[in-house]
Amino acid sequence: MRLGTRKVVDRSFTGLGIFSIALVSLALVILLTPIVVRGIGAVVFRATIEHDRVLMEHFERGNASTFAARNATAIAARAPVYEMLTAYEAQYGVDDFELEELREALQRLLGPAPDQSKPTLARDQFGATRWAQAQEAAHNVLYVQEWDYSDPTQFGVPVDVPRAKRFAGTPLESLFPYVSEHLDEMLQPHWTLYWGFLLDDSLDAHMFGGIWAEILGTLYLTIGAVLFAVPMGIISAIYLVEYAPDHWLIGVLRSCISTLAGVPSIVFGLFGLAFFINTAQVSKYFMAADSTGVSSKSILAGSLTLAILILPVIIRAAEEAIRAVPRTYKEAALSVGAGKWRTILTVMLPAALPGILTGIVISMGRAAGETAPIIFTAAVSVGRPLEVWQTLTQPTPALPWSVYNLCTEHTAADEIRHVQYGMVLTLVVLVLLLNTAAIILRARVSRRLAG
Amino acid sequence: MQRAVQGTRRLGGLSVILCLGCLVAAAQEDGAARKIVVDGSTTVGPIAKAFAGYYMAQNPDVNITVSESGSGNGAKSLINSTCDVADLSRFMKVKEFEAAVANGVCPVAHVVAMDGLAIVVNPRNPVQELSLAQVRDIYKGQIKNWSELGGPNVAIVKISRDTNSGTYETFESLVMDNEKIAPDTEYVGSNGAARQRVKSTPGAIGYVGLGFTKGVKRLLIDGVEATKENVASGRYPVARPLFMFTNGYPKLGTHLHAFVTLHLTSDGQEMIERKGYVPVTSYPAKARLVNDDES
Repeated sequence: MRLGTRKVVDRSFTGLGIFSIALVSLALVILLTPIVVRGIGAVVFRATIEHDRVLMEHFERGNASTFAARNATAIAARAPVYEMLTAYEAQYGVDDFELEELREALQRLLGPAPDQSKPTLARDQFGATRWAQAQEAAHNVLYVQEWDYSDPTQFGVPVDVPRAKRFAGTPLESLFPYVSEHLDEMLQPHWTLYWGFLLDDSLDAHMFGGIWAEILGTLYLTIGAVLFAVPMGIISAIYLVEYAPDHWLIGVLRSCISTLAGVPSIVFGLFGLAFFINTAQVSKYFMAADSTGVSSKSILAGSLTLAILILPVIIRAAEEAIRAVPRTYKEAALSVGAGKWRTILTVMLPAALPGILTGIVISMGRAAGETAPIIFTAAVSVGRPLEVWQTLTQPTPALPWSVYNLCTEHTAADEIRHVQYGMVLTLVVLVLLLNTAAIILRARVSRRLAG
Repeated sequence: MQRAVQGTRRLGGLSVILCLGCLVAAAQEDGAARKIVVDGSTTVGPIAKAFAGYYMAQNPDVNITVSESGSGNGAKSLINSTCDVADLSRFMKVKEFEAAVANGVCPVAHVVAMDGLAIVVNPRNPVQELSLAQVRDIYKGQIKNWSELGGPNVAIVKISRDTNSGTYETFESLVMDNEKIAPDTEYVGSNGAARQRVKSTPGAIGYVGLGFTKGVKRLLIDGVEATKENVASGRYPVARPLFMFTNGYPKLGTHLHAFVTLHLTSDGQEMIERKGYVPVTSYPAKARLVNDDES
């Protein structure tokens, strides 16, 4: 090849490299920006007095005197609204569909009326807790969305009809301008840092509260998977490297392990359901013999399933790491009279530790984020945060599954987008922390071994 | 020195075993009565979740877990004894009963609420009303365009639930008369997903439980609106009861019994109504005005 051509090829290759790195960075930015921005929105946001009320009533948190002061102002600001409603009812009676609708819209904004008995569902007990939600709810008080279908050959166009029109000439006419002018006083918006999003239980299927049950469930599942997979993985790797004879069967075994790494994760999930739950009934082992409890999904079953999923990764990583230990280490140990087992335990394994640890932590990240294997074996959409001993018999909510479940199955999916983003961000940060831990751990262990 | 190290190691091992023992003992104590596992229909899911939240708030030592995997999977879970309560949006099939009995499980039905199957379209769609026969023709693939129904010239996108769903089976028997749904129909896995699809696709039509009609438009069927009154009276043609199944009738006084009879209380009724379903009981709705000390 001529020198000129070689230069051109070289440069274009470099250019291609830079281009692809730029492309990947761009993709990352596009992907991560909304996750980070909207995820942080679950924790830092403009809250209303209703948010403080949720915290006071259900989690017994918050500054009582600030709350009392804000609440007093809010109640005073809301009083005229309810006075107008009472005046209207005195004149026109309560049996009125449009009045019902207005009351419903007001309840979404401000919570139940002061003369109303306490509703059973938490979502009916409070008004809009976030300022963004409150503005939307206020819009729904002021306007009714109707559709203009005047041209039947075209799709309709949404039209916002002011609700005031319906109540023109009644005591309620002045309610609407009042609501739009006094929204701030009625709801007392203020910036807040809701750290409880990570540590609170969810209330009424994530309408309020936090995601502690999901976080804890994910941690349990990940730790459980590692507890099962690591000993098995390392022992298998030692066998494959040090003891396995050079036989075709071992070759088959190796390719089986590699194949296992490529099996779709839903297959592991179904296997977990069929084997651990239906056949082995692992959740029942730890119940009393006369127990009527069922062999349900449980963290135990989920961890076992995830353990099988990450096993090939750990075996591979451990195998490579042990193989990479210089021969001289082993020979030196054997020559001073150490037995094979002792050599492996005290010389080979410590030297291979950084590699093994990296494999473990990477597979932890995988276990934390997997959804398919836990659908049938461990994950539920509603449940309490569990105590350690309950993990043996009970299922749990978990982050990856709940993210999916909230956006496809929740009846109020659009109102709780911030919870979904918060969950995604938490999961991403959790995996990121695990990977960072891996890098730090690896660096430390390598330094100690080198020194 | 070495002996000391060995001693500590032995102690360590012993304490690990002890800890495990404690865990197992605690789990045994805990396992049975204080956990209720609910699985099944995505239509009954919102009711089960509301009941679970309500019951757990009153009984802090009980853990009720709810998952929504579809009526078919709920029935399978009950047959395999992997759940305490199976939510079904249809009645259990003969085959499922047989399988259950063969496994020593005796399914008992609790009707928790009534539900109408709302036929929904995108709110931008000007069509307001269809007859049952028209809906059937749409899903059979004979009506392909909204212009045939007086709407805009846009192809109809048919959304159906998956065959594991009780809602699907209700639709198949009440609307389709067991005729085949056209193969170009799109199948989705839950009520929520069906709603989302219809909400985001102007030409779509779908069917969902009454609790899932936010953001989509319910059509009048044969001139009847899917209101609570019309569902309860049977005037609305696509209505069905919703079930919770247990293995045998739960022992009186247990948490399980309290849970599956919650729909009979006035609080339970209120929750069902607020979630958009029709309660089987008819207590007067909770008074908005509190009559101070009348009682």
